[in-house]
Amino acid sequence: MQNLSKNNKVFKKSKGDGISALLFLSPTILIFSTFILFPVFFSFYLSFHEWNMFNNNATFVGLENYKRMLESSEFWQVLKNTAIYTFGTVPLNMAISLMLAMALQKKLAGKKFIRTAFFAPVVISPVAAALIWRWLYDPNYGVINYIIALFGVETINWLNEPSAAMIALIIMGVWKTFGINMVLFTAGLEAIPTSYYEAADIDGAGKISKFWHITIPLLGPTTLFILIMSMISSFQVFDIVYVLTSGGPLGSTKVLVFYIYEYAFKFFEMGYASAVSYLLFAILLIFTIVQVRIMKNKVYN
Amino acid sequence: MKKIFKNFAIIFFIILIFSSCTDNKKNNEDVELIFWHSFVSSTIPALNQLIMKFETENPGIKIKAQYIPTGDAHIQKLITAIQSNNAPDISWLHSDYLEDLVEADAIYKIDDFISTDSTFDPSEIEHIYPSLIPLASWRGTLYSLPMEATNLALLYNKTMFREAGLDPELPPSTWDELYSYSKKLTIDKDGDGKYDQVGFFLPIFPAAGPQSGWMVWQFYPYLWQAGGFIIDENQKNVLYNQEAGIKALTLWKKIYEELDLRNFTTDFDVTFASERLAMAMDGPWNLPRYKDLLKNIDWGFAPLPAGPKKKATVVGGEYLAIFKQSKHPTESWEFLKWIIKPENQAFWAMQSGYLPIRDDAIEVPEFQKYLKDNSNFKVFVEQMSVGQANRPIDYNALQVVNHIAQAIEKATVGRMDVKKSLNDSALKSNQVIKRNDNK
Repeated sequence: MQNLSKNNKVFKKSKGDGISALLFLSPTILIFSTFILFPVFFSFYLSFHEWNMFNNNATFVGLENYKRMLESSEFWQVLKNTAIYTFGTVPLNMAISLMLAMALQKKLAGKKFIRTAFFAPVVISPVAAALIWRWLYDPNYGVINYIIALFGVETINWLNEPSAAMIALIIMGVWKTFGINMVLFTAGLEAIPTSYYEAADIDGAGKISKFWHITIPLLGPTTLFILIMSMISSFQVFDIVYVLTSGGPLGSTKVLVFYIYEYAFKFFEMGYASAVSYLLFAILLIFTIVQVRIMKNKVYN
Repeated sequence: MKKIFKNFAIIFFIILIFSSCTDNKKNNEDVELIFWHSFVSSTIPALNQLIMKFETENPGIKIKAQYIPTGDAHIQKLITAIQSNNAPDISWLHSDYLEDLVEADAIYKIDDFISTDSTFDPSEIEHIYPSLIPLASWRGTLYSLPMEATNLALLYNKTMFREAGLDPELPPSTWDELYSYSKKLTIDKDGDGKYDQVGFFLPIFPAAGPQSGWMVWQFYPYLWQAGGFIIDENQKNVLYNQEAGIKALTLWKKIYEELDLRNFTTDFDVTFASERLAMAMDGPWNLPRYKDLLKNIDWGFAPLPAGPKKKATVVGGEYLAIFKQSKHPTESWEFLKWIIKPENQAFWAMQSGYLPIRDDAIEVPEFQKYLKDNSNFKVFVEQMSVGQANRPIDYNALQVVNHIAQAIEKATVGRMDVKKSLNDSALKSNQVIKRNDNK
């Protein structure tokens, strides 16, 4: 404590520092307000207007955009698709990444290589990856159909059957993102002091009970963070959908952001697209608040 | 403080250097026109030839051609440019966007130039194929001029015709023949229950995806061949769900299901080149590519088969408009009116593989010789007489197109009843049109 207050004195403001700080921060502030702050408020404004981007006068329509959205059956279908995608990818993603993170805690030959390999999909451009997956899923030449045929399963037309396309998308979504969560879990696991496990060993705890009573509770903050971030990114999935399935077949993989894109940049209904964007924002906000509330007691007590 | 000023002085100096580097104009007398187009890389050499010809014939005007990817990206870039007062002088435009551009007052009417240009004979416009005019206009007013024309014909593999006992010089000329030939040419060679050779390819793509407009474009000829229309004359109700539409979509559905196209790859040119596909719809823009790609195959083009009511094909092409933000509208007009001249049209067609936009280009002697040597190209030129435009849809064209795409996808991929899928789609289209009318 003594140290801290001393340090504070050293950094105490002198006249003129405020201005120079502002000057040095100005590029960031400028970029932040132009590209983040302004669009956020402007799209809120737009959600009550009708505007096609070509001319400069947006017509005020009140809550019409929101009303139209809630009345549209397509919107509810899209919301459902997004929910299916999210609840399909997030648990699967977390389970796989936790398993791998734990497996890679052990001493293993080529551990670094394996970790890098698992992380590679995260770094690959989503468009390139989706193009590769298109070929993997191909009904005639795809490797995936070749492999399942070895087990006697009939050929699945992954991207052309409404029931299979969402599964195909979820599989690719998990593949694309589990690497980053694996790294986060690894960091979380390494932060758990080994003394807890040693104490448990002395008490004669088994592997499973160590996992449930030490690993899981102490990973709480990491898990919460990963859960929230994965939820948000799954709800915002776009690029892999655009390339892999284009929202098809029959709109079965059309997700929220794809829907927003379609209205904003294909039909130029910026107002309607903004309204849907704000709904997406509201959903994510509610999710995050609920998750933080639920986890709060469990995590920090 | 001093240090800060010093740093800023350095930054300022660097910016100064950079800004002075740009824009060292060449010949200060020349007018430079920025021209946005969407030609694929294989057409670029031809475009350079054309521009060179223009520049030698019109000293003092330089054309700077800039490639803009077509589709969504093109219009997004255009909007940004207009909003930031940076629009090109001339740009290629898709007719679906005319509605918005006219409303935003971004482009000139062609009549603005014709009425003031005494050297231009207005009857020149009448030589342009009538089917191209609706694509260049919005609500009956001409806002752009076609640079070249395209249409759809039938690409087929003559060897496969011979093997199936069909005459390679008599490609299908009716829907019935198209259907029965497609069936005959679809063969399961190794008996594993999957077709190794497919008779005919239909472009079925997700309605929500970037290729949905492309799919609908290729569906129109069938709608017209059956005597149908997209929309009524007053633009109040769509008509594609009537009898003709049902007939056309039923044919597609039948072919799609019986040829098992569900399990066929969507890259038709690859499958055609690897001799697993016998027939497909295709345009003249691929002709230059095919000389090389299909050199081991005996292939040819034929007109699209006639439907129950008539012969028809769909026409397209690039349409050039002049922007009001241009500083050189007169010079831009010089380029447009130069490009539609018959001799330049013939030159451009021979260089690029696109079709001329007017019937009298055929009278150019070199072009006649060219047609004699290129029988496949001739098929397309001759088909222009039965060409129709996917117009008029003056309002919300993109949403209507999207709804047609949904109907096609539902009837084929979704196994839905043709009538129901078309009616659902028409209902949605009419709602969109009505909502816009009430504004």
